Amino acid sequence: MHELNATADMLLMKPQAQAATRQSRDNGIEAVLVSAALAGDRDGFGQLYGLFAPLVHGILLARVPRAEVDDLVQDIFLHAFKKLHTLRDAAAFGPWIAMIARNRAVDFHRRSKETVEITDDVRGSNTSDSRANEILELIRNLPDAYRETLVLRLVEGMTGPEIAARTGLTPASVRVNLHRGMKLLREKLGFTEGL
Amino acid sequence: MNDDYLWDKSGEPDPEIQELENILAPLRYQPTPLELPDDVVVRRKWNYFPLLAIAATVLIALLAAGVWLRVRTEKSTPPQEQAKSVPSVPSVYKETATPEVVQKKVIRKRSYVKRRESQEAIAAKEQVMLALRLASEKLKLAQKQMKSPHKIG
Repeated sequence: MHELNATADMLLMKPQAQAATRQSRDNGIEAVLVSAALAGDRDGFGQLYGLFAPLVHGILLARVPRAEVDDLVQDIFLHAFKKLHTLRDAAAFGPWIAMIARNRAVDFHRRSKETVEITDDVRGSNTSDSRANEILELIRNLPDAYRETLVLRLVEGMTGPEIAARTGLTPASVRVNLHRGMKLLREKLGFTEGL
Repeated sequence: MNDDYLWDKSGEPDPEIQELENILAPLRYQPTPLELPDDVVVRRKWNYFPLLAIAATVLIALLAAGVWLRVRTEKSTPPQEQAKSVPSVPSVYKETATPEVVQKKVIRKRSYVKRRESQEAIAAKEQVMLALRLASEKLKLAQKQMKSPHKIG
């Protein structure tokens, strides 16, 4: 009996278990906030923005020039606010807005095919910023599946379980993407000059 | 490579990943307030259940009325034929019955048919009233649900 209790306590103390608890609680909050926003509560939508803006920021950062990201984040949330009534499952706000962000990134490239992306180089005035941009560029050149999870993990500081919960991907595929993406990034960094 | 640290930041920190995190930190999302124009309003989600309930109720009422009308016409047809055939005097009476007796029998039979028809009509009317009452109750329920606060999922 004591052994069972101890095992249960250990399980509860494990980060995975804590992340799972936090994840289910976040999903509940997400649904409540969506319902509030649908009922006309703008603050509720503001809280959703607070919860999911890093996710949208990360998805965009993996795909579009850095200078465009902040404006696009605002655009995407404004669009989501207008179209919130089309969301079928209130608990699936994360995957829904992630999909909007990915589509918006595709639209951005379609519209600005002729534009030369010099903004990141221009902005990277100091050395640490330019190093960050350099690594970001390496991540952006990775396959589609890896770059998004890597940016969310390394730039936005989310954990694997958080990425899975917010994007709607399975934890297993996030884990594989992180592992393979990191392996490729290490190889690429080795080809340049290392860290 | 420490997979646990990469996965959920647990276990022994991987120095390479930590360094990458530090270098990329300036790119991280900086919280900015959301600017929603005042004229933009979130649209309410349409709940089609009350409309469907109303449509179903009306359909049921129409079907009930249709069935009732059909039953009524089917039942009322044979007595009419009977009534038509009544004036022709049966062969048994042809020789024995006088015209007065035959006329009395015809009148009696007609009044019986009328009584039976009126009973059927009353029964059918009650059925229709019941169907209408049901329909109105369902309509009230649907209206209540439309007025009640919106729910998702």
